[in-house]
Amino acid sequence: MSHTSIALALEAAEARLRSILQTVPDAMIIIDERGRIESLSTTAERLFGYDADEACGRNVSLLMPSPYREQHDAYIERYLTTGERRIIGIGRIVVGQRKDGTTFPMHLTVGELRTGDRHHFTGFIRDLTDQQLTEDRLKELQSEVTHMSRFTALGEMASTLAHEINQPLTAISNYLKGSRRLLERMEGENVDMLRDAVSKAADQALRAGQIIRRLREFVARGESERRIESLPKLIEDASTLALVGAREHGIAVTFRLDPGADLVLADRIQIQQVLVNLMRNAIDVMSEGGEIRRLDIATVAGPDDQVEVTVADTGSGLAPEVARQLFQPFVTTKRKGMGLGLSICRTIVEAHGGKIWVESPADGGTIFHFTLRAAADDRETDDA
Amino acid sequence: MSKAPDVILLVDDDAAVRNALKFSLEMEGFSVRLFATPDALLAEKDLPAGACLVIDYRMPDIDGLELVERLRSRGVALPILLISGRVTRSLRSRASSLGISDVLEKPLSDLAGSIRRVLDARS
Repeated sequence: MSHTSIALALEAAEARLRSILQTVPDAMIIIDERGRIESLSTTAERLFGYDADEACGRNVSLLMPSPYREQHDAYIERYLTTGERRIIGIGRIVVGQRKDGTTFPMHLTVGELRTGDRHHFTGFIRDLTDQQLTEDRLKELQSEVTHMSRFTALGEMASTLAHEINQPLTAISNYLKGSRRLLERMEGENVDMLRDAVSKAADQALRAGQIIRRLREFVARGESERRIESLPKLIEDASTLALVGAREHGIAVTFRLDPGADLVLADRIQIQQVLVNLMRNAIDVMSEGGEIRRLDIATVAGPDDQVEVTVADTGSGLAPEVARQLFQPFVTTKRKGMGLGLSICRTIVEAHGGKIWVESPADGGTIFHFTLRAAADDRETDDA
Repeated sequence: MSKAPDVILLVDDDAAVRNALKFSLEMEGFSVRLFATPDALLAEKDLPAGACLVIDYRMPDIDGLELVERLRSRGVALPILLISGRVTRSLRSRASSLGISDVLEKPLSDLAGSIRRVLDARS
Protein backbone atom coordinates (compact mmCIF):
# COMPACT_ATOMS: atom_id res chain seq x y z
CA MET A 1 0.00 0.00 0.00
CA SER A 2 1.36 3.39 -0.94
CA HIS A 3 1.62 6.30 1.47
CA THR A 4 -1.18 8.07 -0.34
CA SER A 5 -3.58 5.18 -0.09
CA ILE A 6 -2.75 4.77 3.62
CA ALA A 7 -3.42 8.44 4.18
CA LEU A 8 -6.71 8.16 2.28
CA ALA A 9 -7.76 5.11 4.26
CA LEU A 10 -6.94 6.91 7.52
CA GLU A 11 -8.91 9.93 6.46
CA ALA A 12 -11.89 7.77 5.54
CA ALA A 13 -11.69 5.97 8.90
CA GLU A 14 -11.57 9.30 10.71
CA ALA A 15 -14.56 10.60 8.77
CA ARG A 16 -16.49 7.46 9.70
CA LEU A 17 -15.64 7.93 13.38
CA ARG A 18 -16.67 11.60 13.22
CA SER A 19 -20.00 10.77 11.70
CA ILE A 20 -20.57 8.05 14.27
CA LEU A 21 -19.78 10.45 17.08
CA GLN A 22 -22.12 13.04 15.64
CA THR A 23 -25.04 10.73 15.16
CA VAL A 24 -24.80 8.12 17.92
CA PRO A 25 -27.83 8.78 20.18
CA ASP A 26 -25.94 7.85 23.34
CA ALA A 27 -23.34 10.01 24.96
CA MET A 28 -20.04 8.40 24.04
CA ILE A 29 -16.52 9.34 25.10
CA ILE A 30 -13.21 7.87 24.01
CA ILE A 31 -10.16 8.23 26.25
CA ASP A 32 -6.61 7.03 26.06
CA GLU A 33 -4.74 4.95 28.61
CA ARG A 34 -3.77 8.01 30.61
CA GLY A 35 -7.38 9.07 30.93
CA ARG A 36 -7.20 11.91 28.41
CA ILE A 37 -10.31 12.56 26.35
CA GLU A 38 -9.69 11.83 22.67
CA SER A 39 -13.14 12.44 21.31
CA LEU A 40 -16.75 12.72 22.42
CA SER A 41 -20.10 12.43 20.71
CA THR A 42 -22.43 15.35 20.12
CA THR A 43 -24.85 13.95 22.73
CA ALA A 44 -22.00 13.81 25.25
CA GLU A 45 -21.16 17.44 24.53
CA ARG A 46 -24.75 18.39 25.19
CA LEU A 47 -25.03 16.21 28.28
CA PHE A 48 -21.92 17.54 30.01
CA GLY A 49 -22.00 21.05 28.58
CA TYR A 50 -18.48 20.96 27.09
CA ASP A 51 -17.53 21.45 23.41
CA ALA A 52 -15.36 18.73 21.92
CA ASP A 53 -12.57 21.31 21.46
CA GLU A 54 -12.70 22.28 25.11
CA ALA A 55 -12.77 18.75 26.44
CA CYS A 56 -10.37 16.92 24.17
CA GLY A 57 -6.94 16.49 25.67
CA ARG A 58 -8.18 17.01 29.21
CA ASN A 59 -8.49 14.26 31.77
CA VAL A 60 -11.87 12.55 31.79
CA SER A 61 -12.00 13.03 35.56
CA LEU A 62 -13.27 16.47 34.59
CA LEU A 63 -16.66 14.86 34.03
CA MET A 64 -17.06 13.39 37.50
CA PRO A 65 -17.35 14.86 40.97
CA SER A 66 -14.97 14.26 43.89
CA PRO A 67 -13.94 11.79 45.21
CA TYR A 68 -14.06 9.88 41.91
CA ARG A 69 -12.30 12.72 40.16
CA GLU A 70 -9.16 12.21 42.23
CA GLN A 71 -9.28 8.45 41.99
CA HIS A 72 -9.94 7.93 38.31
CA ASP A 73 -6.31 7.82 37.20
CA ALA A 74 -5.66 5.15 39.81
CA TYR A 75 -8.61 3.11 38.46
CA ILE A 76 -7.05 3.01 34.98
CA GLU A 77 -3.63 2.29 36.41
CA ARG A 78 -4.94 -0.61 38.43
CA TYR A 79 -6.73 -2.07 35.46
CA LEU A 80 -3.67 -1.79 33.24
CA THR A 81 -1.46 -3.54 35.83
CA THR A 82 -3.84 -6.18 37.19
CA GLY A 83 -6.24 -6.65 34.26
CA GLU A 84 -9.04 -6.87 36.83
CA ARG A 85 -12.28 -5.54 35.37
CA ARG A 86 -14.45 -3.50 37.65
CA ILE A 87 -16.50 -1.63 35.10
CA ILE A 88 -15.30 -2.68 31.65
CA GLY A 89 -17.93 -4.82 30.03
CA ILE A 90 -20.02 -4.73 33.21
CA GLY A 91 -21.67 -1.33 33.38
CA ARG A 92 -22.57 0.57 36.51
CA ILE A 93 -24.62 3.48 37.75
CA VAL A 94 -22.26 6.34 38.58
CA VAL A 95 -22.44 10.07 39.08
CA GLY A 96 -21.49 12.53 36.37
CA GLN A 97 -20.73 16.22 36.69
CA ARG A 98 -21.66 18.86 34.17
CA LYS A 99 -19.58 21.89 33.27
CA ASP A 100 -21.79 24.03 35.51
CA GLY A 101 -20.92 21.83 38.48
CA THR A 102 -24.28 20.07 38.78
CA THR A 103 -24.24 16.29 39.09
CA PHE A 104 -26.59 13.65 37.75
CA PRO A 105 -26.97 9.85 37.88
CA MET A 106 -25.85 8.04 34.77
CA HIS A 107 -25.41 4.51 33.57
CA LEU A 108 -21.87 3.91 32.27
CA THR A 109 -20.64 1.01 30.18
CA VAL A 110 -16.99 0.91 29.22
CA GLY A 111 -15.45 -0.92 26.30
CA GLU A 112 -11.77 -1.35 25.53
CA LEU A 113 -10.02 -1.16 22.20
CA ARG A 114 -6.37 -1.64 21.36
CA THR A 115 -4.46 -0.13 18.50
CA GLY A 116 -1.04 -1.66 18.40
CA ASP A 117 0.22 -1.59 21.95
CA ARG A 118 -1.96 1.31 23.00
CA HIS A 119 -5.22 1.05 24.95
CA HIS A 120 -8.26 3.18 24.40
CA PHE A 121 -11.45 3.09 26.39
CA THR A 122 -14.89 3.98 25.14
CA GLY A 123 -17.56 5.02 27.56
CA PHE A 124 -21.26 4.84 26.74
CA ILE A 125 -23.41 6.98 28.99
CA ARG A 126 -27.14 7.02 29.58
CA ASP A 127 -28.57 9.91 31.56
CA LEU A 128 -30.73 8.53 34.34
CA THR A 129 -32.01 11.83 35.68
CA ASP A 130 -35.65 11.31 34.72
CA GLN A 131 -35.70 7.63 35.43
CA GLN A 132 -34.06 8.07 38.79
CA LEU A 133 -36.47 10.83 39.71
CA THR A 134 -39.46 8.65 39.04
CA GLU A 135 -37.98 5.79 40.98
CA ASP A 136 -36.98 7.98 43.90
CA ARG A 137 -40.42 9.44 44.09
CA LEU A 138 -41.95 6.01 43.90
CA LYS A 139 -39.69 4.72 46.67
CA GLU A 140 -40.44 7.70 48.83
CA LEU A 141 -44.18 7.32 48.35
CA GLN A 142 -43.99 3.62 48.93
CA SER A 143 -42.15 3.92 52.20
CA GLU A 144 -44.50 6.62 53.46
CA VAL A 145 -47.53 4.58 52.62
CA THR A 146 -46.21 1.28 53.99
CA HIS A 147 -45.11 2.97 57.17
CA MET A 148 -48.47 4.60 57.50
CA SER A 149 -50.40 1.46 56.74
CA ARG A 150 -48.48 -0.50 59.34
CA PHE A 151 -49.20 2.27 61.76
CA THR A 152 -52.88 2.34 60.90
CA ALA A 153 -53.09 -1.44 60.99
CA LEU A 154 -51.77 -1.27 64.53
CA GLY A 155 -54.31 1.37 65.45
CA GLU A 156 -57.08 -0.63 63.84
CA MET A 157 -56.03 -3.77 65.70
CA ALA A 158 -55.81 -1.92 68.99
CA SER A 159 -59.24 -0.45 68.46
CA THR A 160 -60.77 -3.78 67.48
CA LEU A 161 -59.02 -5.48 70.35
CA ALA A 162 -60.26 -2.81 72.73
CA HIS A 163 -63.81 -3.41 71.59
CA GLU A 164 -63.56 -7.19 71.69
CA ILE A 165 -61.94 -7.30 75.12
CA ASN A 166 -64.22 -4.67 76.56
CA GLN A 167 -67.20 -6.94 76.00
CA PRO A 168 -66.06 -9.78 78.31
CA LEU A 169 -64.68 -7.19 80.74
CA THR A 170 -68.11 -5.60 80.89
CA ALA A 171 -69.66 -8.98 81.61
CA ILE A 172 -67.06 -9.81 84.27
CA SER A 173 -67.28 -6.51 86.11
CA ASN A 174 -71.08 -6.51 86.11
CA TYR A 175 -71.39 -10.10 87.29
CA LEU A 176 -69.03 -9.20 90.10
CA LYS A 177 -70.92 -6.02 90.92
CA GLY A 178 -74.18 -7.95 91.10
CA SER A 179 -72.52 -10.61 93.23
CA ARG A 180 -71.27 -7.99 95.64
CA ARG A 181 -74.76 -6.60 96.06
CA LEU A 182 -76.02 -10.10 96.71
CA LEU A 183 -73.33 -10.71 99.28
CA GLU A 184 -74.26 -7.52 101.12
CA ARG A 185 -77.57 -9.15 101.99
CA MET A 186 -75.96 -12.35 103.18
CA GLU A 187 -74.48 -13.18 106.53
CA GLY A 188 -72.05 -15.83 107.56
CA GLU A 189 -68.56 -16.61 108.56
CA ASN A 190 -66.89 -16.15 105.21
CA VAL A 191 -69.16 -13.58 103.63
CA ASP A 192 -66.94 -10.64 104.54
CA MET A 193 -63.93 -12.24 102.95
CA LEU A 194 -65.91 -13.18 99.89
CA ARG A 195 -67.28 -9.66 99.54
CA ASP A 196 -63.80 -8.25 99.76
CA ALA A 197 -62.45 -10.68 97.17
CA VAL A 198 -65.30 -9.94 94.77
CA SER A 199 -64.73 -6.18 95.07
CA LYS A 200 -61.08 -6.61 94.35
CA ALA A 201 -61.80 -8.77 91.34
CA ALA A 202 -64.17 -6.09 90.02
CA ASP A 203 -61.45 -3.45 90.45
CA GLN A 204 -59.07 -5.58 88.42
CA ALA A 205 -61.56 -5.91 85.57
CA LEU A 206 -61.81 -2.13 85.48
CA ARG A 207 -58.04 -1.87 85.54
CA ALA A 208 -57.81 -4.13 82.49
CA GLY A 209 -60.28 -1.80 80.78
CA GLN A 210 -58.04 1.16 81.53
CA ILE A 211 -54.98 -0.58 80.11
CA ILE A 212 -56.88 -1.25 76.91
CA ARG A 213 -57.96 2.38 76.74
CA ARG A 214 -54.42 3.62 77.22
CA LEU A 215 -53.11 1.33 74.49
CA ARG A 216 -55.73 2.64 72.11
CA GLU A 217 -54.97 6.26 72.92
CA PHE A 218 -51.28 5.58 72.46
CA VAL A 219 -51.60 4.22 68.94
CA ALA A 220 -54.20 6.78 67.96
CA ARG A 221 -51.99 9.71 68.88
CA GLY A 222 -51.01 12.17 66.16
CA GLU A 223 -52.94 10.19 63.65
CA SER A 224 -54.24 12.65 61.16
CA GLU A 225 -52.93 15.78 59.54
CA ARG A 226 -55.46 17.26 57.20
CA ARG A 227 -54.58 19.84 54.60
CA ILE A 228 -55.99 21.15 51.39
CA GLU A 229 -54.87 18.72 48.73
CA SER A 230 -55.43 18.35 45.03
CA LEU A 231 -57.52 15.24 44.50
CA PRO A 232 -56.24 14.56 40.96
CA LYS A 233 -52.68 14.74 42.33
CA LEU A 234 -53.52 12.33 45.15
CA ILE A 235 -54.99 9.93 42.62
CA GLU A 236 -52.02 10.28 40.30
CA ASP A 237 -49.53 9.56 43.08
CA ALA A 238 -51.52 6.66 44.45
CA SER A 239 -51.96 5.10 41.04
CA THR A 240 -48.23 5.33 40.33
CA LEU A 241 -47.79 3.09 43.32
CA ALA A 242 -50.77 0.85 42.89
CA LEU A 243 -50.51 0.22 39.19
CA VAL A 244 -47.08 -1.39 39.32
CA GLY A 245 -47.59 -4.64 37.45
CA ALA A 246 -51.06 -3.76 36.20
CA ARG A 247 -49.95 -3.78 32.56
CA GLU A 248 -48.31 -7.19 32.93
CA HIS A 249 -51.67 -8.52 34.00
CA GLY A 250 -53.25 -7.03 30.89
CA ILE A 251 -55.30 -4.56 32.88
CA ALA A 252 -56.35 -1.36 31.14
CA VAL A 253 -56.71 1.64 33.41
CA THR A 254 -58.90 4.65 32.71
CA PHE A 255 -59.28 7.88 34.62
CA ARG A 256 -62.36 10.09 34.45
CA LEU A 257 -61.67 13.02 36.70
CA ASP A 258 -64.27 15.72 37.16
CA PRO A 259 -62.53 19.12 36.89
CA GLY A 260 -65.08 20.32 39.45
CA ALA A 261 -63.70 17.85 42.00
CA ASP A 262 -60.31 19.38 42.64
CA LEU A 263 -59.35 20.45 46.14
CA VAL A 264 -60.20 18.31 49.13
CA LEU A 265 -59.50 18.46 52.83
CA ALA A 266 -57.41 15.37 53.45
CA ASP A 267 -54.50 13.71 55.13
CA ARG A 268 -52.49 13.04 51.98
CA ILE A 269 -50.88 9.79 53.05
CA GLN A 270 -54.00 8.35 54.58
CA ILE A 271 -56.15 9.02 51.52
CA GLN A 272 -53.40 7.66 49.27
CA GLN A 273 -53.47 4.59 51.43
CA VAL A 274 -57.20 4.21 50.82
CA LEU A 275 -56.72 4.68 47.07
CA VAL A 276 -53.77 2.28 46.86
CA ASN A 277 -55.71 -0.28 48.84
CA LEU A 278 -58.77 -0.11 46.61
CA MET A 279 -56.72 -0.15 43.40
CA ARG A 280 -54.52 -3.05 44.55
CA ASN A 281 -57.60 -5.04 45.57
CA ALA A 282 -59.10 -4.43 42.14
CA ILE A 283 -55.90 -5.51 40.40
CA ASP A 284 -55.58 -8.62 42.58
CA VAL A 285 -59.14 -9.65 41.82
CA MET A 286 -58.72 -9.16 38.07
CA SER A 287 -55.36 -10.92 37.92
CA GLU A 288 -57.17 -14.11 38.86
CA GLY A 289 -59.04 -14.27 35.57
CA GLY A 290 -61.73 -12.79 33.41
CA GLU A 291 -61.77 -11.75 29.77
CA ILE A 292 -62.19 -8.04 30.20
CA ARG A 293 -59.83 -6.46 32.70
CA ARG A 294 -60.56 -2.82 33.20
CA LEU A 295 -59.92 -0.56 36.15
CA ASP A 296 -61.90 2.68 36.09
CA ILE A 297 -61.07 5.46 38.47
CA ALA A 298 -63.44 8.39 38.52
CA THR A 299 -64.25 11.46 40.54
CA VAL A 300 -67.36 13.56 40.60
CA ALA A 301 -68.30 16.68 42.51
CA GLY A 302 -71.41 16.01 44.53
CA PRO A 303 -73.87 18.09 46.52
CA ASP A 304 -73.10 19.50 49.99
CA ASP A 305 -69.41 20.15 49.28
CA GLN A 306 -68.72 16.46 48.87
CA VAL A 307 -66.65 14.83 46.19
CA GLU A 308 -67.07 11.20 45.36
CA VAL A 309 -64.31 8.88 44.20
CA THR A 310 -65.08 5.55 42.58
CA VAL A 311 -62.77 2.65 41.87
CA ALA A 312 -64.46 0.10 39.63
CA ASP A 313 -63.14 -3.24 38.45
CA THR A 314 -64.40 -5.91 36.08
CA GLY A 315 -63.51 -8.79 38.39
CA SER A 316 -65.73 -11.61 39.56
CA GLY A 317 -67.76 -9.39 41.88
CA LEU A 318 -68.76 -9.97 45.50
CA ALA A 319 -71.10 -12.48 47.07
CA PRO A 320 -73.84 -10.59 48.97
CA GLU A 321 -72.85 -12.15 52.30
CA VAL A 322 -69.27 -10.97 51.78
CA ALA A 323 -70.35 -7.50 50.67
CA ARG A 324 -72.39 -6.98 53.83
CA GLN A 325 -69.47 -7.35 56.23
CA LEU A 326 -66.69 -6.29 53.90
CA PHE A 327 -65.64 -3.32 56.01
CA GLN A 328 -65.51 -5.27 59.27
CA PRO A 329 -62.03 -6.00 60.58
CA PHE A 330 -60.61 -9.48 60.09
CA VAL A 331 -62.97 -10.29 57.22
CA THR A 332 -61.07 -11.39 54.13
CA THR A 333 -61.55 -13.34 50.94
CA LYS A 334 -57.82 -13.59 50.37
CA ARG A 335 -55.74 -16.57 51.29
CA LYS A 336 -53.08 -14.26 52.62
CA GLY A 337 -53.90 -11.10 54.49
CA MET A 338 -55.46 -10.15 57.76
CA GLY A 339 -58.63 -8.56 56.48
CA LEU A 340 -57.71 -5.17 57.82
CA GLY A 341 -57.34 -3.25 54.54
CA LEU A 342 -60.94 -2.23 53.98
CA SER A 343 -61.61 -1.80 57.66
CA ILE A 344 -58.73 0.68 57.75
CA CYS A 345 -60.13 2.38 54.64
CA ARG A 346 -63.42 2.83 56.44
CA THR A 347 -61.75 4.18 59.56
CA ILE A 348 -59.79 6.69 57.49
CA VAL A 349 -62.69 7.82 55.32
CA GLU A 350 -65.01 8.20 58.30
CA ALA A 351 -62.37 10.13 60.22
CA HIS A 352 -62.38 12.49 57.21
CA GLY A 353 -66.12 12.94 57.59
CA GLY A 354 -66.84 10.82 54.52
CA LYS A 355 -68.55 7.56 53.75
CA ILE A 356 -67.35 4.43 52.00
CA TRP A 357 -69.56 1.79 50.43
CA VAL A 358 -69.50 -0.94 47.86
CA GLU A 359 -71.77 -1.62 44.95
CA SER A 360 -72.12 -4.91 43.08
CA PRO A 361 -73.56 -4.12 39.65
CA ALA A 362 -75.82 -6.77 38.08
CA ASP A 363 -73.51 -7.14 35.08
CA GLY A 364 -70.52 -8.04 37.26
CA GLY A 365 -67.50 -6.36 38.76
CA THR A 366 -67.29 -4.32 41.92
CA ILE A 367 -67.49 -0.58 42.46
CA PHE A 368 -66.11 1.05 45.58
CA HIS A 369 -67.28 4.56 46.36
CA PHE A 370 -66.02 6.96 48.94
CA THR A 371 -66.60 10.62 49.66
CA LEU A 372 -64.38 13.40 50.88
CA ARG A 373 -65.08 16.94 51.87
CA ALA A 374 -64.29 19.47 49.16
CA ALA A 375 -62.14 22.42 50.15
CA ALA A 376 -62.80 25.88 48.81
CA ASP A 377 -59.86 27.41 47.02
CA ASP A 378 -59.08 30.06 49.60
CA ARG A 379 -56.00 28.75 51.33
CA GLU A 380 -55.00 32.11 52.69
CA THR A 381 -58.25 32.80 54.49
CA ASP A 382 -58.12 29.21 55.67
CA ASP A 383 -54.71 29.67 57.20
CA ALA A 384 -55.59 32.97 58.79
CA MET B 1 -93.75 1.55 100.66
CA SER B 2 -92.52 -0.55 97.79
CA LYS B 3 -93.20 1.07 94.48
CA ALA B 4 -92.87 -0.96 91.28
CA PRO B 5 -89.24 -1.24 90.15
CA ASP B 6 -88.08 0.97 87.32
CA VAL B 7 -88.01 -0.88 84.00
CA ILE B 8 -84.84 -0.99 81.96
CA LEU B 9 -84.98 -2.04 78.31
CA LEU B 10 -81.52 -3.16 77.28
CA VAL B 11 -80.32 -3.73 73.69
CA ASP B 12 -76.92 -5.37 73.13
CA ASP B 13 -75.90 -7.98 70.58
CA ASP B 14 -73.43 -9.65 72.97
CA ALA B 15 -75.23 -12.26 75.09
CA ALA B 16 -72.64 -12.26 77.89
CA VAL B 17 -72.85 -8.48 78.24
CA ARG B 18 -76.64 -8.59 78.14
CA ASN B 19 -76.94 -11.21 80.85
CA ALA B 20 -74.29 -9.69 83.09
CA LEU B 21 -75.92 -6.26 82.94
CA LYS B 22 -79.31 -7.79 83.67
CA PHE B 23 -77.87 -9.55 86.71
CA SER B 24 -76.15 -6.48 88.12
CA LEU B 25 -79.10 -4.15 87.43
CA GLU B 26 -81.55 -6.57 89.01
CA MET B 27 -79.35 -6.73 92.08
CA GLU B 28 -79.67 -2.94 92.16
CA GLY B 29 -83.44 -3.26 92.19
CA PHE B 30 -84.31 -2.65 88.55
CA SER B 31 -86.55 -4.76 86.41
CA VAL B 32 -84.71 -5.57 83.18
CA ARG B 33 -85.91 -6.74 79.77
CA LEU B 34 -83.36 -7.82 77.20
CA PHE B 35 -83.28 -7.40 73.43
CA ALA B 36 -80.61 -9.09 71.32
CA THR B 37 -81.17 -6.93 68.25
CA PRO B 38 -82.51 -3.48 67.40
CA ASP B 39 -85.23 -5.19 65.38
CA ALA B 40 -86.44 -7.08 68.46
CA LEU B 41 -86.95 -3.77 70.27
CA LEU B 42 -88.54 -2.12 67.24
CA ALA B 43 -91.00 -5.05 67.07
CA GLU B 44 -92.40 -4.06 70.47
CA LYS B 45 -95.79 -2.43 70.06
CA ASP B 46 -95.79 -0.29 73.17
CA LEU B 47 -92.78 0.54 75.22
CA PRO B 48 -93.66 0.80 78.92
CA ALA B 49 -94.07 4.37 80.08
CA GLY B 50 -91.46 5.35 82.62
CA ALA B 51 -88.91 2.87 81.27
CA CYS B 52 -85.29 3.74 80.60
CA LEU B 53 -83.51 2.46 77.50
CA VAL B 54 -79.89 1.27 77.52
CA ILE B 55 -78.59 0.76 73.99
CA ASP B 56 -75.26 -0.53 72.76
CA TYR B 57 -73.72 1.62 70.03
CA ARG B 58 -71.77 -0.94 68.02
CA MET B 59 -74.07 -3.58 66.62
CA PRO B 60 -74.23 -5.25 63.19
CA ASP B 61 -76.78 -4.01 60.63
CA ILE B 62 -78.29 -1.12 62.58
CA ASP B 63 -76.05 0.69 65.05
CA GLY B 64 -77.23 2.19 68.32
CA LEU B 65 -77.58 5.73 66.96
CA GLU B 66 -79.68 4.60 64.02
CA LEU B 67 -81.90 2.70 66.42
CA VAL B 68 -82.36 5.80 68.56
CA GLU B 69 -83.12 7.83 65.43
CA ARG B 70 -85.88 5.39 64.50
CA LEU B 71 -87.28 5.39 68.00
CA ARG B 72 -87.34 9.18 68.13
CA SER B 73 -89.03 9.35 64.73
CA ARG B 74 -91.75 7.10 66.18
CA GLY B 75 -92.22 9.60 68.95
CA VAL B 76 -90.49 7.59 71.69
CA ALA B 77 -89.43 10.17 74.27
CA LEU B 78 -88.12 7.77 76.94
CA PRO B 79 -84.72 8.55 78.46
CA ILE B 80 -81.92 6.73 76.70
CA LEU B 81 -78.35 5.84 77.67
CA LEU B 82 -75.87 4.78 75.01
CA ILE B 83 -73.10 2.33 75.93
CA SER B 84 -70.04 1.72 73.81
CA GLY B 85 -66.61 0.11 73.86
CA ARG B 86 -65.25 3.41 72.65
CA VAL B 87 -66.60 6.86 73.33
CA THR B 88 -65.30 9.65 71.14
CA ARG B 89 -66.20 13.30 71.16
CA SER B 90 -68.02 12.93 67.86
CA LEU B 91 -70.09 10.04 69.25
CA ARG B 92 -71.03 12.17 72.24
CA SER B 93 -72.12 15.10 70.11
CA ARG B 94 -74.15 12.94 67.73
CA ALA B 95 -75.75 11.24 70.72
CA SER B 96 -76.69 14.48 72.40
CA SER B 97 -78.27 15.80 69.18
CA LEU B 98 -80.62 12.80 69.38
CA GLY B 99 -81.52 13.66 72.95
CA ILE B 100 -79.55 10.80 74.47
CA SER B 101 -79.09 11.45 78.19
CA ASP B 102 -75.63 9.98 78.64
CA VAL B 103 -72.94 8.04 76.79
CA LEU B 104 -71.00 5.50 78.87
CA GLU B 105 -67.84 3.67 78.03
CA LYS B 106 -67.54 -0.05 78.70
CA PRO B 107 -66.63 -1.89 80.89
CA LEU B 108 -69.25 0.17 82.79
CA SER B 109 -68.23 0.49 86.42
CA ASP B 110 -71.49 2.08 87.55
CA LEU B 111 -74.34 1.72 85.06
CA ALA B 112 -76.94 1.61 87.83
CA GLY B 113 -75.73 4.94 89.23
CA SER B 114 -75.93 6.60 85.81
CA ILE B 115 -79.43 5.23 85.24
CA ARG B 116 -80.58 6.57 88.61
CA ARG B 117 -79.22 10.00 87.85
CA VAL B 118 -81.07 10.06 84.54
CA LEU B 119 -84.32 8.87 86.10
CA ASP B 120 -84.02 11.37 88.96
CA ALA B 121 -83.43 14.23 86.55
CA ARG B 122 -86.61 13.26 84.73
CA SER B 123 -88.85 13.39 87.78
